[in-house]
Amino acid sequence: MLKYLLKRLFWMIPMLIGISLISFFIMHLAPGDITTTEAGFNPKASEESRQKLRELYNLDKPVIVQYGLWLERMSKLDFGNSFASHQRPVFWQTTDENNNTKLGMIQEALPITLLINVLSMGLIILIALPLGIISALTQNRLPDRSITLFVFIGFAIPGFWLALMLMYWTGVAHHWLPISGLHSMGADKLSGFAQGLDTLKHLILPVFISAITGLAGISLFVRNGMLEVLHQDFITTAKAKGLPEGTIIFRHALRNALLPLITIFGLSIPGLIGGSVIAESIFAIPGMGKLFFDAVLMRDFPVIMGILTIGSALTLVGNLLADLSYAWADPRVRKGVMQ
Amino acid sequence: MRKVIANPLALAGLLIISLILLLALLAPWIAPYDPNAIDVKAILLPPSMQHWMGTDALGRDIWSRMLFGARISLLVGIVAVGIATSIGIVLGAVAGYYRGWVDTIMMRLVDIMLSIPTFFLILAVIAFLTPSIWNIMIVIGLTSWMGVTRLVRAEFLSLRNREFVLASQTLGAKDFRLIFIHLLPNSLTPIIVSSVLGVASAVLVESGLSFLGLGVQAPQASWGNILTDGKEYIQFAWWLSLFPGLAILITVLGYNLLGEGLRDALDPRSQ
Amino acid sequence: MTFIRFFLLLSVLLLAACSESTRTPYSQLDQQYAVESGGTMVDALSGEPSGLIAMLAGESSASAIAGNIFNSLLKYDKNLELTGELAQSWQVSADKKTITFHLKPNLKWADGQALTSEDVLFTWKVMTDDKTRTPYGADYKLVKNASAPDPQTFVVSYAHPYAPALDSWASLHVLPKHILQGQDINNSDFSRHPVGSHYYQLASWKNGESISLVRNPNATQGAPKIDRLMSRIIPDKAAQFLELMADNIDSMALNSVQYARIFPARPELNQQFNLYKELGNSYTYLGFNLKRKPFDDVRVRKAFNYAIDKQEIIDGVLLGLGEPVSSPYKPGTRWSNPKLSPYPYDPEKAKSLLAEAGYSDHDGDGIVDKNGQPLSFEILTNQNKEREMTAVLIQRRLKEIGVDVSIRVVEWATFISRFIKTGDFSAVVLGWGLGQEPDQFNIWHSSQQEPGQFNFIGYKNPQVDHLLESGRLELDPDKRMKIYHQFAEILYQDSPIVYLFAGYGLPAIHKRVKGIDNPAPPAGIGHNSYEWYIPSTLRRNEISAN
Repeated sequence: MLKYLLKRLFWMIPMLIGISLISFFIMHLAPGDITTTEAGFNPKASEESRQKLRELYNLDKPVIVQYGLWLERMSKLDFGNSFASHQRPVFWQTTDENNNTKLGMIQEALPITLLINVLSMGLIILIALPLGIISALTQNRLPDRSITLFVFIGFAIPGFWLALMLMYWTGVAHHWLPISGLHSMGADKLSGFAQGLDTLKHLILPVFISAITGLAGISLFVRNGMLEVLHQDFITTAKAKGLPEGTIIFRHALRNALLPLITIFGLSIPGLIGGSVIAESIFAIPGMGKLFFDAVLMRDFPVIMGILTIGSALTLVGNLLADLSYAWADPRVRKGVMQ
Repeated sequence: MRKVIANPLALAGLLIISLILLLALLAPWIAPYDPNAIDVKAILLPPSMQHWMGTDALGRDIWSRMLFGARISLLVGIVAVGIATSIGIVLGAVAGYYRGWVDTIMMRLVDIMLSIPTFFLILAVIAFLTPSIWNIMIVIGLTSWMGVTRLVRAEFLSLRNREFVLASQTLGAKDFRLIFIHLLPNSLTPIIVSSVLGVASAVLVESGLSFLGLGVQAPQASWGNILTDGKEYIQFAWWLSLFPGLAILITVLGYNLLGEGLRDALDPRSQ
Repeated sequence: MTFIRFFLLLSVLLLAACSESTRTPYSQLDQQYAVESGGTMVDALSGEPSGLIAMLAGESSASAIAGNIFNSLLKYDKNLELTGELAQSWQVSADKKTITFHLKPNLKWADGQALTSEDVLFTWKVMTDDKTRTPYGADYKLVKNASAPDPQTFVVSYAHPYAPALDSWASLHVLPKHILQGQDINNSDFSRHPVGSHYYQLASWKNGESISLVRNPNATQGAPKIDRLMSRIIPDKAAQFLELMADNIDSMALNSVQYARIFPARPELNQQFNLYKELGNSYTYLGFNLKRKPFDDVRVRKAFNYAIDKQEIIDGVLLGLGEPVSSPYKPGTRWSNPKLSPYPYDPEKAKSLLAEAGYSDHDGDGIVDKNGQPLSFEILTNQNKEREMTAVLIQRRLKEIGVDVSIRVVEWATFISRFIKTGDFSAVVLGWGLGQEPDQFNIWHSSQQEPGQFNFIGYKNPQVDHLLESGRLELDPDKRMKIYHQFAEILYQDSPIVYLFAGYGLPAIHKRVKGIDNPAPPAGIGHNSYEWYIPSTLRRNEISAN
């Protein structure tokens, strides 16, 4: 077991380097750089000045040299500074000689995104698990059909549409919830608790919207996974043995439905740090989705690489966790995975 | 096949999908207007007798655009998901069946693909690809197989050491036979769920590709780009987002019914 | 289940915590009020500035905020004529090569330090320093010699007369030497904690959320009426509009649907907000790659110009909220040639021009051809709904004269690097600025065709070259006007691009804000924003925890 874990952790270093190398090349394959996007089409910005900028950012060097420079910085865990956002540190705050602190971009965006995603993931599990179970137990009857319809509506409904409708209803028609942003005007004059409550109120709609689209996947996997098991011999045996129905459902059937769920959760761990660009734009939330999207459109290389590096590290961890959880959930898998 | 038709769920799903396919195929004959006919005097009209689903920002008839858009969206949805699911099944099956270093390599490949966001990957290839429906389907297919791979692999890992598999193996069944006859039919559930949801995602991803310069180009309609256009006018013209949203919903529901029926018919355990 | 109960409880609590805001009755909004100081005005920004040193940042949001914090030597008045800002007066020498600026007396920075010509000189040095990461240094590098002979005087001399120089001094924000000296401007914290000399100074900046400004007691231009300006960063227009409807922001720039369709349908919005209309600072055009066939033939270009119905584009894309242009200058200003009017929509004339150029439908497939080659090309544009719709309307009209057009929309950076810079395009729908400065040397002079330069369509006309050169040497406004009128006329005849439209900016501002010029002068409503005021009875509750 320990040997397996060490082996997997050891794999991660070459993997991260490999992924970052591939990402770096892909990034440079996409046409354009920061000097094209920043004032790229203002006749007052001369090509000579832009060429000069390229030199200052080392963009005139061969890609492999630029990668080397990046790797060298990363080996000191220095994520560098953003091109577009005026030299803000990409990852963590820095303090200059005059004691002015510049906050890191990921440092600021990540907690917000993480909070929203964790809350919505929690909400999804809270709603989707019972829905899936009810659905499975009432297979093809009315509750099952209505639940399936409901989760599919949640899945197919355009998120921006639902978001704007709810914003209008709860924010304009009734002044129940704030419309966008993370803090109310003047919130900094409130007490700490009131500020927390204020932010929480701002998060209700974004969390709800992001949860509603996620319901379908989880509840369907649970429903179908359970159905598959409920029809199997050992359940019939268990029933025949007179085990209480609750025990059967939760001990045997649900456990069997877990396998695809673990995969889905493993796959969604890297997603925890990525936000939805559309949702973040509509709710005016400065999160990771918009940060990455804007960085790619601006060709802000240090920010792109910073987010990709953290993202791929999380992906690797997520998949490792998924593999470990398979082994925990299903002893039969253990041998397979750890061979 | 008879089993599929005998299943009321599958039949209902099949009917829904066939109906939409039929509408898409017959679009040139049943669409009341040319989908690209502009009428600047009829901009953003709500649904009426003349325009069942209203008109868009250039006065084009939404119903006609929905019919023609169905051709693209269904094709993209089915083919892209087909590509992704096939790759996913093959890689997942191989990894889960052979395990060991094969599994390690496959899973590391999955890790790499998952680490690089799709839209970022697409940006890099736009410059080299011309926008065409085939490129769209291939790009979506090639960038969305990782989920299926991991799902199939997990099922295989779990099934691999069950008695019925080991028994067939001892009896001398070939790998190929084991994978496709014994293991795969028992792993259908997650594959079907993920490909049903994948169809809807592919329809939406297609409109995202238009944004980057690879998708269906104006003035051609697809459900995805009618929906995206709707976002601009959401506060005034609800019909621009409602109808494509509904169409996607109905399609997904149809696929889901069909998928469930198929599973019931094919999965050896649910007989 | 306890989780669900907890969640329900929490949501009830949260809902109860929100109070209904007390609103001013609409009828009070239309009354007359005496001018008074104070209050906060809240507006919405679509993007966040990267920093507040505008010359380094470059985005429009940075200029918008920094414009309230920093002064330039000169500025444009409400009629877009140059006037002094920090400078009281300026003289151009007889040989037109030297400009002497005289600063106003007793100028101060927000921190109380004196603002002198040394600061101006310092700013010029920063701009021309090779290490400064700005793409906008070119204009200032033309200065051969700059000096500050005394604290009130700043002198620059050029190797040759350079007429756009005055404009360049109207767009350069003067920076404080006493703070920035010895610092690396590129990494300085100053861009996030600026000290300026204009009406406002920075109060707070919450990344990704809002930027607040507060009145600067030492403002060089006197005191503004409104105490605080707050800009909330809300990327989505629809969300901005909801915030406006809920009275959480005082102003936003509307899009044409919001202006022309939603406002007329909702009387309660018209009771709360005033709508304004100001001609924007750019125009949209269809440009051709003149180095490619058939665009090298002026008859073909004119045929396209006649075949495109500009009014239809304005009505369809902008819902009528725009104007056609026929020169690259703002209609109604000095530089715009009043004799020119847009090419009329005349498909018959277009067809005959095409036939004259050898294009007619020989094979009967509906597409005109010449030497067996059908006339078809691709219009390229970037991801911008207005431009995409414009391209669709053009496609339809060109099809009617037998030209086959396809459209491709590409993401901006790819568009510039992959297609424009390499010259690998046939036609583009793009926009150019309608600047206050008439010099357009960089866009139209034949020497500006290298990759990365701005005459990417490959326009070459010796007469235009000559006019652009002499326009730069001429400092007399009336003589310059004649030069640029003639330049616009030749462009009009050559038709290297088809002018499509200039859209309106459509600000909606809450009626509590008084003192705004309506209709807007050529410079837009913002020219006297320091005189706007909010009567105390109409002010929003400052702490509204909503």
